[in-house]
Amino acid sequence: MSDWMIELVDITKRYGNIVANDHVTLRIRRGELMTLLGPSGCGKTTALRCITGQNIPDEGRVFIDGKDVTDVPTHRRELGMVFQNFALFPHMTVFENVEFPLMIRRMDKSERAKLVRDALKLVRLEGYEKHYPRQLSGGQQQRVGLARALVYRPKVLLLDEPLSNLDAKLREEMRFEIKDLQQRLGITAVYVTHDQEEALALSDRVAVMNKGCVQQVGTPAEIYDHPATKFVADFIGLSDFIPAKVVAVEPERVVLDVQGERIAAPPSESVSPGLDVLLFIRPNDVRLRAAEGDRQPNEIAGVIAKSTYLGDKFDYRVDVHGVEVRVQTHGAERFDNGQAVYVYLPHERCRIILESLVCPVR
Amino acid sequence: MASFLKKHRYALISFVMLLPGLASFFGLFFYPMLVTVVRSFRPEGVTTAWTLRNYTDFLGQASTRQVILLTFFLAIACTLLSIVLSVPLTLLLRQKLAGHRLFRLTILVPITVPGLVGALGLLLFYGSRGWLNLLLMQGLHVVQEPVKINYTLTGLVIFYVWHYFSYTAVTTLSTLEGLDPAFEEAARVAGASPWQVLRHVVIPLIMPGILAGSVLTFMAAFGAFSIPLITGGSYRPLAVQIYKQIEVFTPARWEAASAMAVVMALLQLVFLTFYMRVLRRPTAS
Ligand SMILES: Nc1ncnc2c1ncn2[C@@H]1O[C@H](COP(=O)(O)OP(=O)(O)OP(=O)(O)O)[C@@H](O)[C@H]1O
Ligand SMILES: [Mg+2]
Repeated sequence: MSDWMIELVDITKRYGNIVANDHVTLRIRRGELMTLLGPSGCGKTTALRCITGQNIPDEGRVFIDGKDVTDVPTHRRELGMVFQNFALFPHMTVFENVEFPLMIRRMDKSERAKLVRDALKLVRLEGYEKHYPRQLSGGQQQRVGLARALVYRPKVLLLDEPLSNLDAKLREEMRFEIKDLQQRLGITAVYVTHDQEEALALSDRVAVMNKGCVQQVGTPAEIYDHPATKFVADFIGLSDFIPAKVVAVEPERVVLDVQGERIAAPPSESVSPGLDVLLFIRPNDVRLRAAEGDRQPNEIAGVIAKSTYLGDKFDYRVDVHGVEVRVQTHGAERFDNGQAVYVYLPHERCRIILESLVCPVR
Repeated sequence: MASFLKKHRYALISFVMLLPGLASFFGLFFYPMLVTVVRSFRPEGVTTAWTLRNYTDFLGQASTRQVILLTFFLAIACTLLSIVLSVPLTLLLRQKLAGHRLFRLTILVPITVPGLVGALGLLLFYGSRGWLNLLLMQGLHVVQEPVKINYTLTGLVIFYVWHYFSYTAVTTLSTLEGLDPAFEEAARVAGASPWQVLRHVVIPLIMPGILAGSVLTFMAAFGAFSIPLITGGSYRPLAVQIYKQIEVFTPARWEAASAMAVVMALLQLVFLTFYMRVLRRPTAS
């Protein structure tokens, strides 16, 4: 038995001149929830439709449960899917909607009724059997969608922005409900979203996509702490990108030149002296102190250009030799506009990113 | 007076603006209907007395039942065939294959061509020396003798379908194109084959459109006049029979014709009421 429940191997899908999926390779483990995260139009839905078979890739193969299904039609792939606009059949009751996959499979009537009851219980919708979809709220409709997708225990659960038609509060509630359900059933799930918070909260692993390419695949922490590209860093959370030049590559550190000052960063792959890179750090990892006494290693001098009070924190724009560095501090210490400060970039929080790296996961 | 005008200004303006509409409604629609109904209760050529003779005569005739049956048969056969023809046709058109635009226009042709012209064209096309028979005999060599279509019941049904199916096709097409493809995708992923998707999802969802279109086809076919008048031969549905009362007899039998028209209208009304019931079933969303 293969470790992977789903494998997209070197998938390319074009629509005329648009390359919607550009050599996408993705492997999803059994029982794992993976999100496809990326901005609108980056090819998430396209990749998902390659899994369902609604898209036939121009190049590459699709495997489900170790079997090459590239040429298997959608209805024989044994999948469950939840849609953004719910896509419940308006002419069927809740019961009939959930029963649909079983009815199609010509399952015995009494067994159907039992499975439908179980599925409705799973999504806490008992008692709504006779309602029509239009008589339900958005959240309830999406639960019916979930029940319909899960009722016949498919190999894989696919969700394409399932919560984006719900209001913010309900979205958060449903998010945990989906995660809980997925874990209890131990089902493999692929979840498409453009909401980074949702992706970080839900996923075992995240695949970040941009312009048809997979930029990085990793756990939420890996993605957040070690973004592979500028795009990933920027898309997930706040970022500082400080232009730098590699001065020296040593076994346990890389020395960078930032506007004439020396900054040390942890070792990084594929850098060599003389290379122009970006020094990436999260604004809340940067420390500030008034410019007094000697500067410590990894401290550079700057001037507060702008400060904003955000309630639980201060947001500063610091001018470091003409480069703007954003800093967020939680401490009580306040700095005024025009004040000279030392900006401390903790060595272990610094990352080196190659700006030229656009499509790293091939 | 001034204050009255001021207070009811909008009501007055509305009334004035409605006047042309109301006038044409009464003048062109309500008044002629009233005249027809009144006249159907007059003895022949008399404008003062009342009688039920026109009705008893018409309904008492042995041939009447056959005329009504024929009218219903033609209208229902035409409606059913139109549905059977429209569904696959519109499913194909929806695929937007090459040439679908031209085809979309083509299905509108029968509505736009006057019945009279269409009927003559059909007679020519299906005649014993028409294109169809030429093709069958000299092109494909499948028959020796020309196939007789004109003036047969089968032929009449074909002509009806040709002339009236567009209503059903156009309405079905617009309903189908308004259908969110997500329903079909959901069904496919849930395990339904294309045929099952059609049967359990698409057809039920476009049923309201099919029914609405077929009501139009039915009404038009029930009241069909020029097609059966020219191509019907000995098959004369109600509208043609009514016309004959005026055309064949001198003096024209207006009173008998009126009674028949009233009967026809009532039949149509009853049938439509029943049809609307079906349309408004709770499950048809
Ligand atoms: N059927 C289609 N025909 C032509 N172009 C398409 C089609 N489907 C998608 N595309 C194009 O392919 C690209 C990727 O589309 P896709 O739907 O996969 O994006 P997405 O990541 O799901 O975006 P969103 O978050 O907006 O749903 C887009 O540029 C889109 O315009
Ligand atoms: Mg999408």
